[in-house]
Amino acid sequence: MKYHEIIVIGAGHAGVEAAWAAARMGRDVAICTLSMDTIAHMPCNPAVGGTAKGHLVREIDALGGLMGLAIDATGIQFKLLNRSRGPAVWSPRAQADKRRYGAWVRAALGREPRISWIVGKAGRVLVEHGRIVGLALEDGDVYRCGALVITTGTFLNGLVHVGTEQRPSGRAGEPPSRDLAESLKSFGFSWGRLKTGTPPRLHRRSIDFSRFQEERGDDPPVLFSFLSTARPRDQISCHLVHTTEQVHAIVRAHIHESPLYNGQIAGIGPRYCPSLEDKVMRFPHRERHQIFLEPEGVDADEIYVNGYSMSLPAHVQADIVHALPGLEDAEIIRPGYAVEYDFIQPTELDRGLQTQRVRGLFLAGQINGTSGYEEAAGQGLLAGVNAAMAVGGGQSVVLGREESYVGVMIDDLTTRGCLEPYRMFTSRAEHRLLLRIDNADLRLTPRGRAIGLVDDQRWEGFEARRDRLARNHEKVRRSTVTVGSSRIPAERALRQPGVDVRDLIRDGQLALDVVEPLIDLASLETVYRYEGYLRREAEAAARLQRQESRRIPGDFRFDGIPGLSRESVERLTNVRPETLGQAARIPGLTPAAVALIAAHLN
Amino acid sequence: MFSTADTIVAIATPPGRGGIGVVRLSGPDAARIAAALTRRMAFEPRHATLTQVYGADGQTIDQAIVTHFPDPHSYTGEDVAEISGHGSPVVLQSIVAAAQAAGARLAHPGEFTLRAYLHGRMTLIEAEAVAELVDAVTPLQAQVAFDQLEGTLTSRLRELDAMLLDVIARLEASLDFPDEGYHFIATDETTRELDTILGTIDALLADAARGRIIREGLTVAIVGRPNAGKSSLFNALAGAPRAIVTDVPGTTRDLISERIDISGVPVTLVDTAGLRAAPENAIEEEGIARARVAADAADVLLVVVDGSQPLTVDDRAAMDTRVKRRLIVASKSDLRAAWNARDLGAMVVSALTGAGLDELRARVLEAGGGVLPRDRAPMANLRHAALLKQARAALERAASAARGGIPEEFVLADLHEARGRFDEITGARPEDEVLRTIFARFCIGK
Repeated sequence: MKYHEIIVIGAGHAGVEAAWAAARMGRDVAICTLSMDTIAHMPCNPAVGGTAKGHLVREIDALGGLMGLAIDATGIQFKLLNRSRGPAVWSPRAQADKRRYGAWVRAALGREPRISWIVGKAGRVLVEHGRIVGLALEDGDVYRCGALVITTGTFLNGLVHVGTEQRPSGRAGEPPSRDLAESLKSFGFSWGRLKTGTPPRLHRRSIDFSRFQEERGDDPPVLFSFLSTARPRDQISCHLVHTTEQVHAIVRAHIHESPLYNGQIAGIGPRYCPSLEDKVMRFPHRERHQIFLEPEGVDADEIYVNGYSMSLPAHVQADIVHALPGLEDAEIIRPGYAVEYDFIQPTELDRGLQTQRVRGLFLAGQINGTSGYEEAAGQGLLAGVNAAMAVGGGQSVVLGREESYVGVMIDDLTTRGCLEPYRMFTSRAEHRLLLRIDNADLRLTPRGRAIGLVDDQRWEGFEARRDRLARNHEKVRRSTVTVGSSRIPAERALRQPGVDVRDLIRDGQLALDVVEPLIDLASLETVYRYEGYLRREAEAAARLQRQESRRIPGDFRFDGIPGLSRESVERLTNVRPETLGQAARIPGLTPAAVALIAAHLN
Repeated sequence: MFSTADTIVAIATPPGRGGIGVVRLSGPDAARIAAALTRRMAFEPRHATLTQVYGADGQTIDQAIVTHFPDPHSYTGEDVAEISGHGSPVVLQSIVAAAQAAGARLAHPGEFTLRAYLHGRMTLIEAEAVAELVDAVTPLQAQVAFDQLEGTLTSRLRELDAMLLDVIARLEASLDFPDEGYHFIATDETTRELDTILGTIDALLADAARGRIIREGLTVAIVGRPNAGKSSLFNALAGAPRAIVTDVPGTTRDLISERIDISGVPVTLVDTAGLRAAPENAIEEEGIARARVAADAADVLLVVVDGSQPLTVDDRAAMDTRVKRRLIVASKSDLRAAWNARDLGAMVVSALTGAGLDELRARVLEAGGGVLPRDRAPMANLRHAALLKQARAALERAASAARGGIPEEFVLADLHEARGRFDEITGARPEDEVLRTIFARFCIGK
């Protein structure tokens, strides 16, 4: 019987980061996947990043993960969102060549000798005395392991809907995981059902692009990885089009055929990515909605119709596509569909993403109720790290809310659970001003190094960049510059509104060592320009830290506190908060209840 | 600090003798201790039971009514037993001693209400209101505290919070959905709405100042030259001959004060020695010094000038006192007026006939800021006012940042801080509200 220290089920964005991280930490890892052709697959939007998601990718990269390098190598259009605002909300986004993206990740994993593959269908989770001991495939093969990371995406009892037609399927044309779902359910986890959807794909040759507004990438592009250098590169364009009243009329006329509106789908969908049906029915006052046409690769035929996610019958989808000017003759390669799937309430997990019921079992990605490749990858990385820690007897790694978006996400999930698919937003991070793309490395690369994820090459690059920043600060402190007609210390000049460090450099007033202008200068100038804000934010973070440092012992009995309502005890017992701060964030728990717990912790 | 694991006991009615007196027990053993004290097995929940109460020594203490409120349906949210005995301090203390002997602990001041708060029976604001209601001296104080208990302040804050949340949601949407193709909120809209919120907070803070007056009252000092009629006015307002009145100038030497009630506001009225440039002796000199201290400390100053005599140098000096809240009172209107009161903006009163006193009382209250608009719930609590001021400062920073074209995330940092202060006042925050508000209003997502 084969033994691997760690088995990862699923080779999507969560699975590959988990396997990569655990292997980097010296563990022997096997990835169990249905097919070697769908590694790091992008079944929906062929893009990485976006607001807050771009932050997640920068953090994954700063910790030593794969996603940033993969998208930099295979991106075909790059944009920095929110460029007109401050550096805290700058968010990189890129269109991916999805075929090359998958191939790049597969090759990277292939170069890692500690990773092996199990091609087959996971069936049963083997547990002895509350601990993971192995995995049985549906075909009966059994593998023993020390830790198991499950990243099944939408496959658990997946059900695909196109109009009134429905068939069990994890993604279009792929079988769902039923045995695995049943096996997991036998442990008594709390479950829910979610829904997501994807738009139709059109054939490039059948589209009249001259009718649309062209959307170009940034030149030079802003990349994701701290190891990449921004230089001009060939980029493709996307195209913008708006829905019309005719489109809305067709949707309304056929709404009874939509599984979202005829009661066929019970799962809850993402509010921030509404289906076309929802856009038309729930926001009738909106005259039009934006639709983006995005190529799925440099030489791919498929055009992804972003914003056109729907699950109406295929012939209705055809009418809706053809109703748009410029798409009259569009060929539909594949209709859009909705997929319903099971997820486990992430309150079942501790903050290391390990389930409380079964030790050695880790979950990451959509199985935890999230949506998005970036959210999945961030969890995958941490699940891989903590699986490796569990096998090696190390301390679980938990990132703080004041330290990273990854930390905010995992804390949100494990403390509050999910009522709908969870997507990252900058507004979820209460210390947003501290969590910028430019300082992701300063925040996290030393953590990654200590954990064993950051290799020497990345570490040397990081040290050089950190020293460069320190030298530039020193230079600023020692320089005086002329602003208007007065000569003042550079530090003071940089605090003045309207004074831009770039101008001072260009005018030869400040000689700074700058390698990556966007990143280097953002890290430098925020310190002066937003001094008061950063100070208040840091103080707020320190206050949070005080509550966070009051630990609740793992064996603390909430039902032993007289007067704590049964409902509160139930919530606390489900979440098992590890600190008083985490307890305070549990929805529905009153500040009084938290004061009561604090009283009994003494 | 606070444990809720034990059972507390205290006399719940005021000290001294009364018709009845109540001993209250709260905590996990309340029912057991009540049963032990009465040698019964149990009490029917929320039913009054007439029973004997036995002391620790086994002797009958009293015949009492015992009511058991099982948790969580009680004042504290715990098991509560109330023993209503005869209102003798000795009897009640014996019952408390017997309860202590049976395992109860003597409650700290306010501990029953603290437990009610900890068990979610009331919000922080309500708990504070209970304390204020119990402490109320005037009916108006009681009314303000009761309004607060009813959640009037909470609902005002909720309105403010909703206005703020609306601005926050739109600013957050601008940041998180930059490519939606439309504006969630324009800069001038942000500043306009923040100004509205600031105006509302200012009104609440003005209420807070009034609330403070209702709680703590006003101090009104009566000053003027010797023999201007200050003491007569003092006695007339006090409704009793507290100050000695003679025709001899300088009769009043020390400060005399009296607590009066003007439309529910407690007012401390202070009579002072007459002010003159040339005091006759050391006693008068000291009296004048004290008068000046009292004048400085007063919320409202009544400058009394004899209306029946021509104005003197000392009169003019007294009127010249630079005090923000100063009322000039022309006294002795029952005599022939020697000068035109209107020219000096003076109010005309007669301590002898009582003419003009009602108007004077009203003007005192107005000058002291103690007039209450009927539809407002003033904030009386200093903690609330302090937090509201912090919220205001954060909002001011946000508004000025927005006006200065500073990006949304910085404006938001201060707006979130302001909301945090609101939460500190009321105690709680609903979850995930910002995102819920965004998605309820906008169709987002491509």
